[in-house]
Amino acid sequence: MVSDSLSDESADEGSERENRFASPFPYTEIFYKKFPYYLSIGMTEEQYWDRDSTLVKYYREAEELRQEKFNQEAWLQGMYVYDALARIAPILHAFAKKGTKAQPYVEEAYPIGKKKMEDAQLKKERAKSQKGVRYMQAYMVANNKRFEERK
Amino acid sequence: MAKQLKFAYNDKEYTLEFTRRTVTEMEKKGFIAAEVENKPMSTLPALFAGAFLAHHRFEKKEVIDAIFAKLTNKEELIGKLAEMYNEPIMALVEEPEENEGNVSWTASW
Repeated sequence: MVSDSLSDESADEGSERENRFASPFPYTEIFYKKFPYYLSIGMTEEQYWDRDSTLVKYYREAEELRQEKFNQEAWLQGMYVYDALARIAPILHAFAKKGTKAQPYVEEAYPIGKKKMEDAQLKKERAKSQKGVRYMQAYMVANNKRFEERK
Repeated sequence: MAKQLKFAYNDKEYTLEFTRRTVTEMEKKGFIAAEVENKPMSTLPALFAGAFLAHHRFEKKEVIDAIFAKLTNKEELIGKLAEMYNEPIMALVEEPEENEGNVSWTASW
């Protein structure tokens, strides 16, 4: 039975029979011991004591998700700080050349989520191909000019 | 969803369930879960009556006794009630999910 293992903390001492009912309220003790944790993750007193007893599992899972989210947010914030420092680093240099300017702060928020990531990738690729087109146009104009000069 | 035992008696629907509060109450009244295994005949009625506390707290003892007397398959009932009684604690001390670090075991009998 669960109650055996729960009340078995002092199992090393005395016989099994003596320790079996070491606590008269083995389940109650565990309930009270775990109660503050569940209060801390948002469960109400009523939910913990009187409602569906399996609700605690979902609160634990929700808490894990919350922690994961918090960790992601902290990481992202760190990235922005790192990025900002890297951008102003040139002017922080003691022997920076005169006229050195800091790079502007990142224009828009980092893309998060599949859709935004795809949009950002597409934008990047478009900008790249536009640059290629512009280069080709400039090359053609220069070539045409050269031919015209030969004529 | 917590385990529940449902039935109808005299046109009234009953839902038996244990919550942490009712388990605590039962322990304070002297109920010892470990005795279910050794003394099933004396603990089963108390366990059964305790299952009424969550949803039918004010049901008369005579009615509960009458229902208990008419219930069939009591051997299976004791197993189900014990499972229900253990659920509030099992949900708290649940095993970790399967992963490579867990050690699994098998018995040979």
